[in-house]
Amino acid sequence: MKRRDFIKTSMVLSIMGAKLPLMALGKSRQNIRRKTGTWDSDRILVLIKMDGGNDGLNSVIPVYDSLYHQLRPTLAINENNALMVTEDSGFHPQMAPLVPIFQNGEMGIIHGVGYPQGNLSHFRSSDIWVTGSPADEIWSSGWLGRLLQNEYPNFPEGSPDHPIAIQFGSANLLEFQSTQTNFATMLFDPEIMYYIVNENYVPGSNDPPPDTFGGNELNFVRELDLTTLEYSEEIYSAGQDGNLTIAYPNTNLGDQLAVTAKLISGGLNTPIYRLHIGGFDTHAGQDGEHPQRLIQISNAISAFLQDIKNQGLDDRVMIMTTSEFGRRVGENGSNGTDHGTSGPIFTFGTTTIGDVYGSQPSLSNLDNNNNLLVEHDFRQVYTTLIEDWFGLDPSISQAVFQDTFNPIPFVASPLSASGSPAVPEAFTLFPAFPNPFNPATNIRFELPSATKATVRVFDIKGREIRSQHLGKLNAGQHDFILDGRDLSSGVYLIQVEAAGSAQSQRVTLLK
Amino acid sequence: MAETITRREFIAHRSRKAGQSDHIKKDWPTARVAKLYRSFLEDKPAPYHPPKKDYTPVPITPSGRQATVDWNDDAAAHLLRRTLFAPTFPEITTAGSDSMENTVDTILAAQDQPDPPGDWVNEPPPQFNALTEEEIMALIETYYQRQYQLIAWWMKRMAIQPTSIVENMTLFWHNHFATSIDGVFFPQAMYEQNAVLREHSLGNFRELLRRVTFGPAMMIWLDTNRSTVSHPNENFSRELMELFTIGVDNYTQSDVEEAARAFTGYATNGVNTNYSYNQATGFGYYWQQNHDFGQKTFLGQTGNFDGDDIIDIILQQDQTANFVCEKIYKWFVYEVPDDSFVAEMATILRNNNYEILPVMEHVLTSSHFYDENYRGCLIRNPLTVTQGVFRQLNVAEENIPQNYLIRLQYYMGMIPNNPPNVNGWAGYRSWLNSITLPMRKLFSATMTDGSNLFGGDLDFEPDVVAFAQTLSDPNDAEAIVQDFAKLFFPLPISDDLEEQLLYALLEGAAVYDWNINDDGAPLRLRNLIKYMMRKPEFQLL
Repeated sequence: MKRRDFIKTSMVLSIMGAKLPLMALGKSRQNIRRKTGTWDSDRILVLIKMDGGNDGLNSVIPVYDSLYHQLRPTLAINENNALMVTEDSGFHPQMAPLVPIFQNGEMGIIHGVGYPQGNLSHFRSSDIWVTGSPADEIWSSGWLGRLLQNEYPNFPEGSPDHPIAIQFGSANLLEFQSTQTNFATMLFDPEIMYYIVNENYVPGSNDPPPDTFGGNELNFVRELDLTTLEYSEEIYSAGQDGNLTIAYPNTNLGDQLAVTAKLISGGLNTPIYRLHIGGFDTHAGQDGEHPQRLIQISNAISAFLQDIKNQGLDDRVMIMTTSEFGRRVGENGSNGTDHGTSGPIFTFGTTTIGDVYGSQPSLSNLDNNNNLLVEHDFRQVYTTLIEDWFGLDPSISQAVFQDTFNPIPFVASPLSASGSPAVPEAFTLFPAFPNPFNPATNIRFELPSATKATVRVFDIKGREIRSQHLGKLNAGQHDFILDGRDLSSGVYLIQVEAAGSAQSQRVTLLK
Repeated sequence: MAETITRREFIAHRSRKAGQSDHIKKDWPTARVAKLYRSFLEDKPAPYHPPKKDYTPVPITPSGRQATVDWNDDAAAHLLRRTLFAPTFPEITTAGSDSMENTVDTILAAQDQPDPPGDWVNEPPPQFNALTEEEIMALIETYYQRQYQLIAWWMKRMAIQPTSIVENMTLFWHNHFATSIDGVFFPQAMYEQNAVLREHSLGNFRELLRRVTFGPAMMIWLDTNRSTVSHPNENFSRELMELFTIGVDNYTQSDVEEAARAFTGYATNGVNTNYSYNQATGFGYYWQQNHDFGQKTFLGQTGNFDGDDIIDIILQQDQTANFVCEKIYKWFVYEVPDDSFVAEMATILRNNNYEILPVMEHVLTSSHFYDENYRGCLIRNPLTVTQGVFRQLNVAEENIPQNYLIRLQYYMGMIPNNPPNVNGWAGYRSWLNSITLPMRKLFSATMTDGSNLFGGDLDFEPDVVAFAQTLSDPNDAEAIVQDFAKLFFPLPISDDLEEQLLYALLEGAAVYDWNINDDGAPLRLRNLIKYMMRKPEFQLL
């Protein structure tokens, strides 16, 4: 082939490459998911943030409280319109889809959730909720970030092969920020993500970045680039395998919940999803906007609950709403309500004990700024999730919040922290990270007892390229770095021999 | 059972989602208009908003400062990258062979106000009550189109900017006083604010703050327009302190409430206001009836304050200059402020009676700014990606696909005049995530082939050969690679990376075989551009 022809051909191919994601889908892919990861339970938490500060008093309505009607001359909902669910409270009429769920014992209402000395700024209060900090301290990492960091201290090294957390659209990523990294993968749609990511991937350079602030940022982009590539494959394949059994409402939150259901159904082991729905900052014209948001969230959650129940996944999934604050008791001059302090949190699923926790807040006994008092600290709720839902040790939630908070008993079958075994039960080889790699990748394995171990590397034709005796190793976790600087690009088979057996896996060196 | 959807369907599907209607005032300008406007917006595409905040970095001790600025092409490129949307190659070499002082003077020089996007910018508001429903719907459609005309007009300003900081500085102030078409119905008001930001971008912060505060757009956006003595609305007074001037935790809830009382009685019809800049007061019957003339106690001072008094008291607080300078620092230098340098900036701002120009001059001529540590340490914002590359590749003004670029920004996350909320864009690492990073790489196909990522082709193809002719030696493959690196990568490139780039250009052919007049040259140049735009290094500034 003439040089020019060769160039033209390869140009066309690579230009085609850029356009591939625009073509119809339908490539078949090998299922590469593996059930690993170090969270012991297969439980999943779906958090839904009501952005802007949900008005709790117009969600779970104290219909017989005359102060409520006095202070809200245009916004109050009376007993005839509210959907009575307890002796003193009715749901907003637009929350009708949630009434049977509550009556069925699959919805918990935790009253008066907030924190002492409530801050009325959105951003500050959102940050307090996502960092889990006390009101007078500014923390720069999120409560989930610290929780996950405890589990994956060297992320991305030793990370599982599925995204650790999935975040939809535009919520606050600070929640998943640890002191070192961000654990969340952002997502719109599994298939789109896969094609765009894969067809545009260019292997990163080998050279170390400069030891400057700029070099730090380069490292960040490279790391994000690689993690995105890997996780896109996992998400894609779960999306292909997953099912939906009912139609979801055609709303933004409906879409988010539909994708979540599909990924769970497809076997993705990601334990935490963060979804969001906007529009709760109802300073003006609340009677137009707030009901719309309530019906959207009610319909979407109701569909999701039914779907996971149909698929038999409901015993693994806990759903919870959060919001940065409640709203002021009295309405303002614009038919709206200003920022307040506490508000109710809702939990959903057969995994929650359907009940009312605490009581309707007093509208006469208020704080200095005429705001509702706090009955439950939000960190109590989060502590419950860490200890009862995920079954992690109380020392972990104490480390996350730097304080002890009493759990609230809303989890139907709490897991107890049995103290995960220090000694693994079996010889296990974990997926190499990174993979594909350049120039080095980390091979991690666990040994149930002290034993000799050997690592061998074979090329694609089965020729042994390397063999290294690691000597006698103690029980527990071990890491082996495969340095590929003197190898050429290609697929290699890594075999770890220990405890009388051998386990192997493929890695790809991309130079 | 939901079906699997294709990417195209996904985008179409996604674009039906509402979101912009979140900020609509319920009965303003009238209840009927608001209702119709909401229904209208719910059929319109919703922008993708990036997360508010992604990452709080661990501070690192700077590795010392240079005694003087070592001025060369690299330093010039650093200055130009940080102040323009992206520099062209001739701009870099011209600046590099001139002095730093002259280059900074050029960048900070005053600019003429551009022609507005249309005559409509001064159009008075209609008498809504005299209009039929059909007429209102037609007007809403017109206003909506004008909002996007304005956005397209501004984005084009960025792509065709002269060697001047003004457009970037205007965007900085827009991010600071983040106001959105989502809440501001009148395009006239959005244009007015944009003109104010541009006119005062290097002017006096007090004047800028007054013009923005009492402009129709801000009055509508943060509800001062509807705030009265009997029902003061806290929205503006809180954000004024929290986001525009002093910063959170430097005032109390009581200060918010007292300032809210001072900001009562102001009104706008979307174009005019009942506020006089020259007299620094509200006026007229509505003002007399609805302003709270009573005594207020704000930040320790007591008096019958109005909005101007509140602004004056805020500007007496030392913290205000610090807060504003920290934001300037974060936009132009680095996400983690160097406290002592920010304090220097703040002192200059206060000592110059809040004139912004001396502060910018100080920053851009400081050895701190040119320190190697700060090269490439910002993450490119999405507008420097799209508008910047158009500028760098010398795409003719008439060939810039404006509406397409707005649509792309839905996915990259930065439509000007449509920030996610009043806090503006979080910026820095939050620009990049598993959606936006691949989207940016995909955009390389547009810039090289004229591909429309939503299907089909655009009506332009960058003339990469003409572009290469502006480089130092278009017939030297190695020189091309090095010049490209100056344009697209802010960090010095290693030998290894240079080799990769050379391979992307030549695909194995010998260096001496390269000839810019070769038939294959345009394809090869495109390949190199595409390759570079997909590299992690490209995301840095």
